[in-house]
Amino acid sequence: MTFQAKLALRYMQGRKLRTTLTLIAVMFGVMIVFGFNGILPAMEQALQTNLSAAVEKVDLTITSESRGAFDASAVTLVRETPGVALASPSLVRPLLVPTAQAVTAADGTAITSFILRGVQPEQLAELNPVSLADGRLLTDADDHSVLISNNLAQQTGLGVGDTLVLPASTGLLTLEIVGITVGQPPMGSEELIAPLAAAQTVFNLPGQINTIEAKFAPGSDAQTVQQAVLARLGSGYKAGGNEAGSEFATAMETGRLVLSLFGIIAAAMGGFIIFITFRTVVIERRRDIGMLRAIGASRQTILGMILTESLVLGILGTALGLLLGALLAYGLLVGMQPIMENMMHARIGGPSFAPWMFVLAIGMGLGITLLAGLAPALAATRVQPLDALRPSLAEVERRAAGRSAIAGIIIVALAFLTLIAGNVGLAALGIVLFMIGLALIGPALIYPIARLFGRLLSLIFAREGQIAQGNLTRQPGRAAITASAITIGLALLVAMGGLITSLIGGMDGWIAKTLGSDYLFMPQSLVLGGGNIGAGPQLVEQVKTTPGVSQVATLRQTTAKIDGSDLQIVGIDPVTYPQVSGLIFAAGDEAAVYQDMANGRSIVVNGIFAAQSGVKTGDTLSLQTPEGVQAYQVAGIGGDFMNYKIATGYISQANLAQDFHETADLLIMVNQQPGADAAQVDGALRALSRDYPAFSFYSLAEWKTEIGKSLAVFNAMYVLLIVLAIPSLIALINTLAINVLERTREIGTLRAVGATRRQIRRMITAESLLLAATGTVFGLLAGLWLGYILVGAMNLVGLVFPFSYSYAGLLLAIAVGLGFGVIGALIPARQAAQLDIVRALAYE
Amino acid sequence: MSIIKTEQLTKVYGKGATAVTALNGLNIEIQPGEFVAVMGPSGCGKSTLLHLVGGLDKPSNGRVLLDGQDIFRLNDDELTQLRRRQIGLVFQFFNLIPVLEAAENVALPLILDGVKQNDARQKAEAWLARIGLSDRLTHRPDQLSGGQQQRVAIARALVAEPSLILADEPTGNLDSRSADDIALLLRQISEEWNRTVLMVTHDPRIAAHANRIIFLKDGTVVDETRLSSNGHQEEMMVRQKLEVAR
Amino acid sequence: MSVRNAILGLLAYRPRHGYELHDAFEAMVGGVENWDLKPAQVYTTLTRLEKKGLVIEDRVQQDGGPEKHIYTVTQAGLAELQKWFSEPVLSDRRRDEFFLKLMLCLAAPDANPRKLIYVQRASLYRELHAITAQRSRVDPKSELAYILLLDQAVMHLEADLRWLDMVESRLDEISRQPIPEPAERPRGRPPKSDES
Repeated sequence: MTFQAKLALRYMQGRKLRTTLTLIAVMFGVMIVFGFNGILPAMEQALQTNLSAAVEKVDLTITSESRGAFDASAVTLVRETPGVALASPSLVRPLLVPTAQAVTAADGTAITSFILRGVQPEQLAELNPVSLADGRLLTDADDHSVLISNNLAQQTGLGVGDTLVLPASTGLLTLEIVGITVGQPPMGSEELIAPLAAAQTVFNLPGQINTIEAKFAPGSDAQTVQQAVLARLGSGYKAGGNEAGSEFATAMETGRLVLSLFGIIAAAMGGFIIFITFRTVVIERRRDIGMLRAIGASRQTILGMILTESLVLGILGTALGLLLGALLAYGLLVGMQPIMENMMHARIGGPSFAPWMFVLAIGMGLGITLLAGLAPALAATRVQPLDALRPSLAEVERRAAGRSAIAGIIIVALAFLTLIAGNVGLAALGIVLFMIGLALIGPALIYPIARLFGRLLSLIFAREGQIAQGNLTRQPGRAAITASAITIGLALLVAMGGLITSLIGGMDGWIAKTLGSDYLFMPQSLVLGGGNIGAGPQLVEQVKTTPGVSQVATLRQTTAKIDGSDLQIVGIDPVTYPQVSGLIFAAGDEAAVYQDMANGRSIVVNGIFAAQSGVKTGDTLSLQTPEGVQAYQVAGIGGDFMNYKIATGYISQANLAQDFHETADLLIMVNQQPGADAAQVDGALRALSRDYPAFSFYSLAEWKTEIGKSLAVFNAMYVLLIVLAIPSLIALINTLAINVLERTREIGTLRAVGATRRQIRRMITAESLLLAATGTVFGLLAGLWLGYILVGAMNLVGLVFPFSYSYAGLLLAIAVGLGFGVIGALIPARQAAQLDIVRALAYE
Repeated sequence: MSIIKTEQLTKVYGKGATAVTALNGLNIEIQPGEFVAVMGPSGCGKSTLLHLVGGLDKPSNGRVLLDGQDIFRLNDDELTQLRRRQIGLVFQFFNLIPVLEAAENVALPLILDGVKQNDARQKAEAWLARIGLSDRLTHRPDQLSGGQQQRVAIARALVAEPSLILADEPTGNLDSRSADDIALLLRQISEEWNRTVLMVTHDPRIAAHANRIIFLKDGTVVDETRLSSNGHQEEMMVRQKLEVAR
Repeated sequence: MSVRNAILGLLAYRPRHGYELHDAFEAMVGGVENWDLKPAQVYTTLTRLEKKGLVIEDRVQQDGGPEKHIYTVTQAGLAELQKWFSEPVLSDRRRDEFFLKLMLCLAAPDANPRKLIYVQRASLYRELHAITAQRSRVDPKSELAYILLLDQAVMHLEADLRWLDMVESRLDEISRQPIPEPAERPRGRPPKSDES
């Protein structure tokens, strides 16, 4: 062990509390980054259920480029291709079953998420052999039969001869279980195998399929045959299976960004705490360092000593952080399961940690500790040997404070510029810059603020308050560091609070505008493409003819490819949709846009897509459709509530039917006639909805209550805030404790000249409150601005909502800030009060 | 050749009206093996002299020659190395590293100089034994009395076998009995172990242990008293004369 | 006075002849360098004591040698010793030669009082150096009496040195003041004796 390492370890052992607190700080940073990143793959996996589990068993799988359905006649083309021995069509899609139709497992959980595989009997026999545990395979004579897995059979007790009721575009479809298959179901969802026709009925896609599987003749060259098949089919088809849910990729990307933002802030926070700690460590050890220099330690040795210490803390903290991060990820996934179940009907697996996450978390943990330790370590090398011989004089020149304040203002201004620059990466950097700037401005402002609060405080703690105020203004640098620990913590709290409030507020606005009809037929999943079952035209017809109904608008959905990536396409009726609901536009004239959509291939894209691909109004998009590549002109930029977080384009339902063969209604919005009997309309529609269990029927009032519940989920984000706020409490205790330590002698003198324990306690508490008040003021101002920057950053990535903040939140922040001051003062104040006078006087 | 020689050594603290002259053109010379005490009223510049000779501070004017070498021509690293190998420092407040054991504290200068841990440890223990602390090797500073701490500090100053020991009020923080012990130890260092000792003190009883006392006032030498010449030094002078004669 | 009482004390411890008394005294005060007592003084003192009846002399014939004079303390001698033990020893520190020298030097033309101080100081330091060296060679386990004696000297010297420092720092002040002169007194009364 080197000398530096030994010294570092000894110092760490000698100051256990300090070491622990710093360790916790590093740990928190790593934990948050590692834990959050670990959750994402699990969520992605839950959403991206692999539909082509059997791909390997066949020679070729054909799907459409757009990943949508296409006409079954394509099978004939494949069959006719030389070298193809066998080709079979299938329709494979996720299927969500309403709770009423859900299959209940033995343990009481409702299984609502399935993958429905519509196949022709020959496929199971020859192409994709299925082993049976019980019953029989499908035959050509079957039309309402289904095979389930033995896994599902075991869970639910269902067996051959029982029936399964599925929602369908025509209402309900009852299928008889004829066989039990052996084999593992694909991730997340149980597979149901039914005749192709039955699947087409369920999904309202008569004559449509989305997969062709083929086997080649023995001896033929697979490559050549595949080329031939694709050539014969023409454009719009690809070899390879479909993956459901890849339209979520954009949403996931956004999620990753938001969480990374959290990670960056947590890391900056951790770094800041480490910086504070090591800065005080250097002040505290000034004499030791000076002595080492005096007896011949070089500057490099001192640098190495401090850096080794931070490295050891970094390694320990990172290791613990990884461990806790993994636990956090498990915990969060367990906690999120009901939410995911509720909103997307997806089941989540455990967290998974890719090698790069380890690299990131470890790099961050070690990198930040080293970086944060560097400045204090460099300061330590500037300690002169003479400092060992002099009593420590922690004088801070007012002028130096002024200079760093100017630097701080410049940095804060730069932070603001990064926001205007309109680049997400820069904006994130801006947040870090903002915090650094804040720390620099602190010392210059501490004097006036401490004076201001000192007046208020002296009303409560007459004499002690005055002493406390004096202590602070004499040491503006040290006080500023302490106050800025609170500031940073509180700023985060306020900023994230502001972000969440803005988000929720923004959503409220969106919901009111885009889902504000009198009645709603909502699909199972709020995400349109998430395996929802649409309704055929008869439902809308029935709704329209219900007495008292004035307008009806629907949403339809499919997926297109553009430049190789997915774009969700939502079909609206340009005439009825604006009457009942409406998109929120960021660019483009509303009336003109709907006019364009009615007239031709016009598309409105949402903010996320526009931000990511840099699309502007007037551009032309080349969309891969089942009908080949089609050119759509961008008429405007805007979106609705349900699809704001997924890259989406809105086109007319006429174009959707023509280019994408999609006519199923996924969401139906209904307005009643003025003066109609609400109870009567409500009753009639509700009765109608019972035949379509794939939909949940809501009146406007019911919907608002429902959405309120969902939004409450976002309150979970406040929990994250608390997780982030804890380190700043730690930093506060740390700095206050050091403060007391540094003044041991002074406190001893005060006690010796007649200050009571109570007075000392009050003095330290007063000081702490003063610092907290100062930190709170900074924190509120900085937090509001930081929140504004965060919202701005969100807007940059396409999540457009205005910045707002609640007064209750501000009051809470003030309470928390001052509360921290009191809590942070408790330990050091006790410590100070219990100091033994004689020992304190001898202390140096 | 004298081990320490100062030429017109001047140190002024501060600027303008508030400037304080700590040393004012000081010229002193100290021979190898001498035990010299520097005395004078507080503010006479005695600590400043010690700091300058130890290369801990920079003079405003003048030179300090150690073994004929102008130490302020050295850069920081060279000066650090000089302190490490040629100078042993003893402070008023002992200045031991609180988290290290006695033997580890003593071994510090050797380890800083790149000596192997085991060798450094052995030497440290040998020196602690020589000053009578072989039963305190693994004690931490807070487990030792003031006198013992100062002994450890002296062992630390000696461990790298420097030719010069600088002691700044080494007994300033000790009771009179421990102070006597430390003074005797310093005398032993000079008489038995042939080190040059330059000590600053304001205690006549401690200063009386030296061979020579330099009295400073207002930054200049006002008087000098030779108390005795120790055997070693006489021997050296005889030898020098013999060499001249040859 | 003290030599007389010391001889009484030594004889009370055990009877001895004159030469033994001289050596015992020297051992008690820590050597000839501390208190140089001449043998002649021992004999004159013994003669005086015998006359006063405080000691008595016995002549003892040695084997093959001259006869020896052994002295023994009498009852009156023991009473005298007890009287000595019961009285405090008065300090005579106020009668100081250096002080006189310094005051007169202040008054004398062409004299350098500072130099006087330095010379005195150097001398005191040399004395202190010698005593500390001496003290360091004494074994505290068996010769504590000697150490205590040396410590007394060390402390006196220390006090003298501190006092010199004080004088030096106030030298300018004292040289501005007139040196003490006898006050004008009514005629006929004799001048006061040398009590300070």
